[in-house]
Amino acid sequence: MNFKQAITGFSIRHYKAVAAAVVMTTVTVMLLAAVPSIWPETFSAFNSIKIDTDPENMLPRDEPVRVFHNQMKKELSLYDMVVVGIVNETHRDGVFNPETLANIYELTEFAKTLHWTEEGREVGVVEVDLIAPSTVDNIEQSGPGVVKFEWLMSQPPQTREQALAVRQKAQRIPFLNGTLVSEDGKAICIYIPLTDKHLSYRVYSELQKKTATLSGSEAYHITGLPVAEDTFGVEMFMQMAISAPTAMVVIFLLMLLFFRKLVVVISPMIVAMVSVILTMGALIIAGFPVHIMSSMIPIFIMPIAVLDSIHIISEFFELYQQTKDRRQTMLKVMDELFVPMLYTSLTSAAGFASLALTPIPPVQVFGVFVAMGVMVAWLLTVIFIPAYIMFVKPQTLERFGAVHIPDQAAHTTLMGRLLHRMGVGTYRWAKPILAVTAIVIVAAFYGISKININDNPVKWFNQSHPIRIADKVLNDHFGGTYMAYLALSAVDEEFVSKDFINDFNQQAQKQADGLKEDWPQAATVFTEIQTMTTASLKNVQSRQEAFERLSGLVDEKLDQASDDRADAWDEASLFVDQQYQRNQVFKDPAVLAYQTQLQQALLETQIVGKSNSLADIISTVHRELFEGADDQYRIPDSSNAVAQCMITYQSGHRAGDLWHFVTPDYRKSSIWAQLTSGDNRDMTKVVKAIDKFIAENPPPVPLKYEWFGLNYINIVWQDKMTTGMLQAFTGSFLVVFLMMTILFRSALWGLLSMIPLTITIAAIYGAVGFVGKDYDMPVAVLSSMALGLAVDFAIHFLARSREMYASFGSWEKTVPVIFAEPALAITRNVIVIAVGFLPLLLAPLTPYNTVGTLLASILLVSGVATLLILPSLVRVLEKRLFADKKVLGASCNCVTCSVSSITMVALIAITLHQYTTAGWGKLTWFSVIAIPVLAMSCGLLSRRGKCKILNEKEVIGND
Amino acid sequence: MTKKIALTIFISTLLLSYGTVVAETEKTAAAETLSVDEIVNKTNRVAYYLGIDGSARVKMTITDSQDRQRNRELTILRWDQPNPDLSKEEQSEDDGYCGGQKTYAFFHRPADVSKTVFLVWKYLDKDDDRWMYLPALDLVKRISSTDKRTSFVGSNFFYEDVSGRNINDDVHELIEITDDYFVLKNTPKNPKLVEFAYFKIWIHRQSFIVVKTDYYDKNNKKYRTFEALNVETIQGHPTVTKAKMTDLRTGGHTVAEYSNIKYDVGIPESIFTERYLRKPARKYLK
Repeated sequence: MNFKQAITGFSIRHYKAVAAAVVMTTVTVMLLAAVPSIWPETFSAFNSIKIDTDPENMLPRDEPVRVFHNQMKKELSLYDMVVVGIVNETHRDGVFNPETLANIYELTEFAKTLHWTEEGREVGVVEVDLIAPSTVDNIEQSGPGVVKFEWLMSQPPQTREQALAVRQKAQRIPFLNGTLVSEDGKAICIYIPLTDKHLSYRVYSELQKKTATLSGSEAYHITGLPVAEDTFGVEMFMQMAISAPTAMVVIFLLMLLFFRKLVVVISPMIVAMVSVILTMGALIIAGFPVHIMSSMIPIFIMPIAVLDSIHIISEFFELYQQTKDRRQTMLKVMDELFVPMLYTSLTSAAGFASLALTPIPPVQVFGVFVAMGVMVAWLLTVIFIPAYIMFVKPQTLERFGAVHIPDQAAHTTLMGRLLHRMGVGTYRWAKPILAVTAIVIVAAFYGISKININDNPVKWFNQSHPIRIADKVLNDHFGGTYMAYLALSAVDEEFVSKDFINDFNQQAQKQADGLKEDWPQAATVFTEIQTMTTASLKNVQSRQEAFERLSGLVDEKLDQASDDRADAWDEASLFVDQQYQRNQVFKDPAVLAYQTQLQQALLETQIVGKSNSLADIISTVHRELFEGADDQYRIPDSSNAVAQCMITYQSGHRAGDLWHFVTPDYRKSSIWAQLTSGDNRDMTKVVKAIDKFIAENPPPVPLKYEWFGLNYINIVWQDKMTTGMLQAFTGSFLVVFLMMTILFRSALWGLLSMIPLTITIAAIYGAVGFVGKDYDMPVAVLSSMALGLAVDFAIHFLARSREMYASFGSWEKTVPVIFAEPALAITRNVIVIAVGFLPLLLAPLTPYNTVGTLLASILLVSGVATLLILPSLVRVLEKRLFADKKVLGASCNCVTCSVSSITMVALIAITLHQYTTAGWGKLTWFSVIAIPVLAMSCGLLSRRGKCKILNEKEVIGND
Repeated sequence: MTKKIALTIFISTLLLSYGTVVAETEKTAAAETLSVDEIVNKTNRVAYYLGIDGSARVKMTITDSQDRQRNRELTILRWDQPNPDLSKEEQSEDDGYCGGQKTYAFFHRPADVSKTVFLVWKYLDKDDDRWMYLPALDLVKRISSTDKRTSFVGSNFFYEDVSGRNINDDVHELIEITDDYFVLKNTPKNPKLVEFAYFKIWIHRQSFIVVKTDYYDKNNKKYRTFEALNVETIQGHPTVTKAKMTDLRTGGHTVAEYSNIKYDVGIPESIFTERYLRKPARKYLK
């Protein structure tokens, strides 16, 4: 008895024990996952369910861009923000009427109260950084020669004039115009910073409750990337509870329609359900968070789990009436299907497991657990389905299945007849079919070339979702609600004490020379300071330390100095501080002017509608210091003047705002860019435009520039995902090809089995390119799904073809048999799964729609590709394919062996490339050496004694 | 918490030792019978009106929640409107009169704002007059001062903390008398003009020095705190020489250290004019 018979025999004999074991395992896993989640305190030793809706986690925590993002956020005290847009389209003054402004005031006051204590920490809205009409400062003229700082709207205005004055004032301040108030006066945005973006859904809900109570002619829109991301997370789980079960029900009904026996149809559902429970349970128990990706695991496992069961039931359905013996029929079915099922599962699993090669943690988790789910489903299928059938009473099965009369029965149903005709057609029209296929492939590659790589978390919601609407309305009125930050930082020079001393003394000497005539006493002090510097700074390690020591020494002198020398030492002390400030580059007018140029370059992209910078603040203050004249909106001429504008600005209510634009050491600064679109594609364009601008217009002093902000992080992980997915896909393609070559012991057969999936993927991605659908996360992940499913059909088709060809001797005679039960099983699979996932189209979240549409398309195309193209190819290649029927191992055929070897080398190269920084250069050398070596060993292997005998036999046979 | 207590004890000891030196223990008994207004007036005088004038060098260390520090060094000159009923000699003996006041703040550091000057004329019955001089722009500018609760040059102190809040703007209640302190609750008469709902002050019973002030918002939450960290007796006046203002919302704080404190210097009133913004009187700024 071989392995497969042993397994089937075991589960048929001990079917009760098998069923009990399955139930026990499922219940245990459910308890282990659910109990600690419901009572996390009591069962703290176990992992409870963790939910992670943060797309930032698409990148590992230590990813440089994330580290930089968090560091800059901290250094510039920036927070993720919820944006509330208030739009009044009906009032003649837009939002600037007393009623709307009163409501905005009330909402702002309410927002200030939205903080809570969590684990001893104060979390929620960061009140001091809230941007609203009543919380920002206005700087303006107040009569001739008088400048005034006041709250923009300390109290809600009472009259129309007062309300319009708020508009007029806010629009004078560049920081507020296009950010707080829209240029058309119809809208106001309030920006609510949060200590942690995971609170955004909570804040969002509270704000929604509040706005519902405000009566007025204005509309309220709540948005912002953190809200979109957090809301998506919440809705995602609701969808998981709706979509996946709906899909299950539809699959169930279709199966019932095909097989008409409730008891039998229930078994694949049990397999699917148990697979999902075990996989998700394992995920939770292992402590992995349920992420946007992993929430889709059930949807991916279900069709695959059902797939194998359908083959079994389909076959059982066809064969049962011949013997009317459950045990006999099941043994026969399993004997025929065991190997194809094992391989289909292995290949699907390999396809998903290859996702572990992408450098994106949630995708890795997703890939590994789907792969695990696929293998669990396979195990359940081979162990549990036979056992389950044994539970079904023979009487129940009395009228089950097709009454099978060879050559006729298969065509009794409509589907049977159609498939039969199709099979005959492929034999007759093989070459035209292949020609059409070739055209499709060419067209597909053209479509692929047009693919648009893009993603946008806001577009994860469908058009009618409040967040999408808010996004559209607010971006119409404002300079953009998507924030990205361009950080500029001064390059730290290496500290060499000798150079420092030389430079400092040179400056001091200059002072001494200048003072010699008018103030000889000071000149001697400036000479003395040089001696002091040379003597005491030799072993100093940093600039900071050098100045601390210097000012300490000078202060000491100042304290001890006689009255007549004190002034001179005071001058020296001032000089030391001046020298210290020389590296505060963001007080340099040239650097600020460069910021203004960068802002201009940002605006020219047409994607950035508005930007804010330190240069804007300084220019605004400068203008108001000089009577508010428009031509005084500029950067002053000296860094002292810049510093004095800053100190003026800091005399307002929001002194801290300066530190959102520059760090207190004046070495780092950031420009806020407001994008009107959250599309990664648009962010990428902006990044490229700035790269180009900086390359063509180098900064006046050495500056490093780096982007941060959620919008930027999104493009980084998208880039990683795109290249990562491509490599993972190539890897899994090679793995599957290798497995196929081994399964069929022939490179040609292996290649043949890859054709339907290649065409399916080309066609699907070609169509994605043609339709103009963005290549986003779900689209990317589905390539693995396509690989796994499409190869399944090919395996079933080819494995059965080869087996049946052996008994019929020619392809012409084999075709009708293949197009009976095996083709029927494939078609049923296609229909069940394709239709089963159509309910996903009803979900309000686009990634679910995408998955639904693409799954249906993948199944349809791969079904058609398998049933049309494969038989046509077999017809054309009949001689070659069936020439050497009896090859003992893959190594005996020199070509097969070489192809496998090259595949292996490529596979290793790709894997190494993913994990090492070794570029293609080194890996190319590796391949160049490895491939000939392997080819030679293949040649030697195929000339082995045991192969020789076989080849001779073959020669004789061929004669 | 323990730190705070230790601090309070430290200050108390300081103040007590001062009290015994001047041997004013009999005042303690009298304090029991003081009215709220008397306490408020005395406190106001001790905080802002000692001598007929004064000068001090102030070093402000502004520390943010990330422990990043910035410094400001300035000299503050003060001139009090004399009491018309007293002679010059009598005035320097008497601290009892709280009239108008002129303040001149001259910046030494950071170097790039050195020579910047702020000038304030404080009136009891109307808004202050305020000027600033920005040397790098060679600009003298009047600043409207309807609102005095804005940051003093980027520190956690407000202009009003430096010049003193008008005692007539609040309703004062004595809510507690401890062994060492009077605790007053002050509620603004016009809450729309200020960001606090009320503030509590702890006044040392012997010296009338404000040791601590806590500001509360509408939700009864403390968000800002002033502490006197050090008190010295200068020319017979107990004087706060180190004080700290903490913003509990941002986690930042500013410590002001006063040195070179002098009273009754005899600074001429003419210094406190626009003319002296561009050409400061160096003599008083050392």
